[in-house]
Amino acid sequence: MIEIDEKELNKLSIDKLTHIFMDAINQQNIVLIEGIEFLVEENFDSFEKNLRYVIDTNTEVKIKKKFESKIFKSKLMFSKADRLKLFNRINEIKNIGEFIANKMLLYRVVFPDENFKSQIQDVLKSLKLISNNLSTAVKSVGSDLSKAHDICEEVKDERRRMREKEWQLLNRLYNYDMDYLSRTFIYLKELVEDIMMLADHIKTFSESIQFLATKYLIFD
Amino acid sequence: MADDLNMILVVILVVMAVALAFSIGANDETLASLIGAGVIKFKIALIIGGTAIGAGMIGFSGGFVPETVGRSLLGEGLESKYTNIMLLTVLISSIIWLVVGSFAGIPLSSTHSLIGSIVGVVIVYAIFQGGVTLDNAFNYTKLGNVVLSWFISPISGFVITFLLYKVSAKFFLSRLKGLNQIEKSEKSFKWLLLISVIFAEIWVGANSGEALGILLGLRVNGSINSGQYITFAIFCAIFAFLGIYFAARYVIRNLASHMIDTRPSEGFIIQMSSAIILMIATLWALPISHSHVIVFCIIGMSIAQKKEVDYKGLGKMGLYWVLTFPIAAFLAGFLYFILSSFGLS
Repeated sequence: MIEIDEKELNKLSIDKLTHIFMDAINQQNIVLIEGIEFLVEENFDSFEKNLRYVIDTNTEVKIKKKFESKIFKSKLMFSKADRLKLFNRINEIKNIGEFIANKMLLYRVVFPDENFKSQIQDVLKSLKLISNNLSTAVKSVGSDLSKAHDICEEVKDERRRMREKEWQLLNRLYNYDMDYLSRTFIYLKELVEDIMMLADHIKTFSESIQFLATKYLIFD
Repeated sequence: MADDLNMILVVILVVMAVALAFSIGANDETLASLIGAGVIKFKIALIIGGTAIGAGMIGFSGGFVPETVGRSLLGEGLESKYTNIMLLTVLISSIIWLVVGSFAGIPLSSTHSLIGSIVGVVIVYAIFQGGVTLDNAFNYTKLGNVVLSWFISPISGFVITFLLYKVSAKFFLSRLKGLNQIEKSEKSFKWLLLISVIFAEIWVGANSGEALGILLGLRVNGSINSGQYITFAIFCAIFAFLGIYFAARYVIRNLASHMIDTRPSEGFIIQMSSAIILMIATLWALPISHSHVIVFCIIGMSIAQKKEVDYKGLGKMGLYWVLTFPIAAFLAGFLYFILSSFGLS
């Protein structure tokens, strides 16, 4: 877990604050994804522990407040608004993660079969990948926009592949022969849709980073 | 009686020249890029810009563009002297055409309008007054150079901006990789932008010879002496300053709000290119249109950046630019003809 005291935060630049904020949010994202993996493995204690961690952790609030006060007073000329937008988009990941975690704790689901489990694990693997990639892309904005642009392209490609898997999952869910418990059906349906929502946000975020690269980079 | 009338005319002309200087400041939008980039505080920018335009005006009042407008466009036949009625007609007709243009929403050049008016008045003078023919009414070399400069200056602005941008993109701007590096570089450019805007304002003031040209015309025809000319020139400089400070702020603020995303490096290249053109034109005593030059500089930048250019709008603007000269000439000639028929020549 990322723990930084107030004094250290004061010393950090806007760029560095964005990096540690991104790291904190990405770490929570990974904990959330691993929590869902525990659920798939029916390890409910670890699942609950992870999701509680996502809900209860608020280290990022301190970083957010510091960032906001610094950018407000900063003498950055023309990238100020874009940096603020970037930061807010990172914060939205936290909000989505928290929403998913709270929703998932409402019920203890048991997955229908091994195939479903393996498909959802596959999707979660992709989600972990795009989350980590996004984090690298955000941290490259300050130093190498071309690199950030390329990483975001990879994120978009992976998201495209994920979408197919997600539709297969939903298709499978809707077409089970067994008479399903409606709570289980709703839970699994929403789980898939929430994973899609988080992945979609990461994809939209990637596009906005690419927009920044297009806006700021000059080619000869 | 005739002396009294002449005195009134001189006073009117001086007041109008000073008012013209105020309007030159009021219509100046050079500071917009500086404000848009957030380089310095608004009021400080207005003071710096106003001082620079006033300094340019006063610094080059001894010859250069005012000399062209106030004397050297005229040929030997007129002994290089305007009558006060001629000067008044020139001013009134160019103001009428500019006001009509403003109400119609047509962007016009005050320089083209003024020179067009001079040509119209002198043609009518040559036709209807004795002792002057069209052959010797004008200094055709000077007139030719002035008209030629109106075509060359925007094209040069376009070419210089295009080349400056391409070179800086190739050797510097394209090598900036991340947002931190870009921000740092643009921070340096903001000071260069400040310098280039001050430089541009000086040459805008120096090239805006309309007001001082009228005053110089009065000095040449003996209506005012050299001391009075300098005093009135200082007034013009002060009023140009006041024009920027009190009236141009609205247009500057409006334009600046559209330029928030403009990078100081781009603003610097555009301002520097237009300042270079204005400087060369001023040193050659050629009155050119600052707005034409800046528009072509912006087009040069857009094309270098492979951005879209509104060619339809540009064509419309070009048409008005071309029409300004003959319309102002016709209007001034007509006015002067009316006044002459009442014995005022």
